[in-house]
Amino acid sequence: MSLETLVKISEAVGRRPEELARARNQGQKVVGWLGYNIPEELIHALGLIPVRLGTGGDGKLVEVGSRYISSKNCVYTRNLVGLFAENTDPYIQNSDLIALDSTCLQLYRVGEIIHYYFNINTLTLGVPRNFFLPEAKKYFQAELEEFAGKLEGFAGKKLDAKSLSESIKLFNGIREKIKNIYKFQSEDSPVITWSEVYNVVHAGYYLDREQYSAYLSELLQELEEKHRNRNIDIEEEEARVLLAGSSIPPGDNKIIKIIEDLGGRIVGDDLWTGILPYLGIDIQESSIKGLADAYLKRVPHGALPYLDLNTDKRLQNLRESIKSNNARGIIYYTLRYCDPYTFKAGETKDVVKQDDVTLLEIHTEYAGSDFEAIRTRVGAFLEMLRSGI
Amino acid sequence: MAVQELELTNKKKSTKFSTVKFDENIKEKIEAAPDLVFRDGSRVSGSEMWRFMTTEGPKRYPNLFSKGKNHGFSDDAELISGFRRNYFNTTMYDRLNRFAAKGTPVVFIQGGQTHEPYYAAGGIPIRPGQVNGWATNSKENMDYDEADLRRLQIREIGRQALTVDACQTAKYEIIQNELVQGISIIAPYLCTRCSDIGYGVEAHRHGKVQLPLLPVDFPVNNQQNKPWAREYVAENLRRLVRKIAELSKVEVNDDVLWKEIKLHNEKRRLAREYLDLWWSAPVPPTNSQDHTAIAGLGNESSNDPVAAKQILEESLKEVKERIRNNVKGKNLSDDPVRLFICGSCVNPNPHVVDRAGGVVVGKDDGLSEIFYDVEETGDPYEQLAKTMLSFPYELPTEERGRWVAEQVKKSRADGMIFMYQWGCNFQSAAARLVADVVKKEAGVPTIIIERAMAESAQGQEQLHNRVEVFIEMLRQGKK
Repeated sequence: MSLETLVKISEAVGRRPEELARARNQGQKVVGWLGYNIPEELIHALGLIPVRLGTGGDGKLVEVGSRYISSKNCVYTRNLVGLFAENTDPYIQNSDLIALDSTCLQLYRVGEIIHYYFNINTLTLGVPRNFFLPEAKKYFQAELEEFAGKLEGFAGKKLDAKSLSESIKLFNGIREKIKNIYKFQSEDSPVITWSEVYNVVHAGYYLDREQYSAYLSELLQELEEKHRNRNIDIEEEEARVLLAGSSIPPGDNKIIKIIEDLGGRIVGDDLWTGILPYLGIDIQESSIKGLADAYLKRVPHGALPYLDLNTDKRLQNLRESIKSNNARGIIYYTLRYCDPYTFKAGETKDVVKQDDVTLLEIHTEYAGSDFEAIRTRVGAFLEMLRSGI
Repeated sequence: MAVQELELTNKKKSTKFSTVKFDENIKEKIEAAPDLVFRDGSRVSGSEMWRFMTTEGPKRYPNLFSKGKNHGFSDDAELISGFRRNYFNTTMYDRLNRFAAKGTPVVFIQGGQTHEPYYAAGGIPIRPGQVNGWATNSKENMDYDEADLRRLQIREIGRQALTVDACQTAKYEIIQNELVQGISIIAPYLCTRCSDIGYGVEAHRHGKVQLPLLPVDFPVNNQQNKPWAREYVAENLRRLVRKIAELSKVEVNDDVLWKEIKLHNEKRRLAREYLDLWWSAPVPPTNSQDHTAIAGLGNESSNDPVAAKQILEESLKEVKERIRNNVKGKNLSDDPVRLFICGSCVNPNPHVVDRAGGVVVGKDDGLSEIFYDVEETGDPYEQLAKTMLSFPYELPTEERGRWVAEQVKKSRADGMIFMYQWGCNFQSAAARLVADVVKKEAGVPTIIIERAMAESAQGQEQLHNRVEVFIEMLRQGKK
């Protein structure tokens, strides 16, 4: 880790659980959230502390979670239920309310389960699955109004326009900075790797948002300086891959480790736990309606079916991302029983083929038993990319 | 994989199963029964039914008329409405072929919800299981094993085309491989009963067969009392009706939809009356197979709600008579163990249940879809939306569990089985919670059973074992 700001961010993350506990002792409330369409701006504007939850990659938690959900649910949701069952995660321990949205219906079930079995205070935001229809816009506006009303009750204060406007400005800034930071990792002889950027994104799950924004500015400044002064050393046969598919939350390092150990270079992602939440949010007016419209129009989550292949923003974004990051191939990582993404694997492969990009689907769970089999497949894929086949 | 690869080698017809033979003693009653009247005014007499069920049917569909320990029509030949229902269901494929030939839009839908909008718009809704049956039986003269293998092959091609994790893929492949001709539009409800349907619909955008895709959204999480949710679903329904009506060229106004709603409300009321009677009877008047099928007519119409309603009325009349005379359903043991079933798309085998000394008293899925009428005032689309959003099966899982517990008590069930298909994310995720709520609220033992999708009909010994053992356990508890 040669970047000073990364060290600062990492240290700040280490201090964060204690900070949250202190804030709660002083009467502040923490909202842990799960999902894709929860506007953090709203939580923040009400003086609540937003924390994005969810880790993966822990086989033991998966087993524990399976006792409550089922072995036919994706391993991420099983891991999540296990997290709540064990209750050792400091961010879960420090959450006074868990907010979820129904974008992914397996996550919706997680909300039901943790409420019933672990007496967790939950609040669910309904998301329309026919999100592209005009009537969906009206529905989501009303849902978000209701959601905001309940958050107001929880916060014990009314949402005021000034706070909302300031929060929107803050989060717009974070989104812009994250997008700019991402650009550095795909450069030749980069001064920051994709994995480092990914860790920065995940730090943003937990850190105080003002502090996080300041760190991002500092990081950008440092990146610009280092980038200007770097020695360019182009590797001619780089296996540049883009990671796409199901979520890869903090803790799920299997595929990342395999790719990097084999000398592959990740140059971008198309992940719900990566860059996607920062893309395409254009808030036209500082209001609940403005938030609802912007969130619904963003690059959609794969769990929301879209019926026209040619105008699918998710696929358009993927193709643009391949181009802008100069990726040669895609590793499409799907978790067992993650239907939204496994159903789309074949189709996505056909779509990116039009751009002469090859796609390798890795369908797996968190267990290590298939590690070597995946290593062999990824190794062959990277070799193929290097050879330009 | 091409359709031709589904063709089987000319193997010798299996002889291990016999062909069902209806007792000549019932012929007179069948022939004397009134004509079955269909929606288009056409009629089928009792004699024509007898001829089809004893001559034409077994010849064309040896698989459907095959009789084995764990499959085949109900043994309760004395239940005349049962014979007529079997005729109605077996001839469904011929009707579907006629609809398709005439250009009537056949609509691929999902179960568990109201069918009125589809019928009112001049469409014929068919559920995934029926599409599968249509595709399997589009090839005639197959014995039981051949049909079973064909069904498995269709499913396997679907899994290969989409994902190994899928459960509904066969229907995708049936459409994309044109194993049935005549599906005009794919327009299911996106309710929580099925995790695959939304992505299955989406997958067709990439297929070689391009059909209109129009799923009707179903917002989750207790939305029935939210005016904006009702408006949203109502608008989705208006869109659905407009689209199907464009294809059928039928003019649909509110009066047309009200007429359809009234017809389906009558069916729902008849089914509820039937269930109340059956549940309160001192001895179960029908076996598990007939009971489940009769109750199912409250929602399911096998593409003709008018004829379905007639059969339901006839069944109700016969069952009332049986209860008056204290007649027990055929093959049931004395004081059978009463089972309530939860989950979707799958049931315990009724032959196995009855033989093991049990009887199925109800199922949350089937009961949910007939539990409420659509109010016959105001805007029909909004009333439909309100009813759909109220169906107990689609409520948050804890509430669904409490509702099931009430039905368990009302039906005097001794135990509850939650059964789900392999790969079903949504029902499997709800299974333990529902079971735990039922155990707590109704005080009965529960069991969760997963059914493997890839199994052939004959490869389900483990599934049957679990059901039998659960019945045995409940039996010991009753002593």
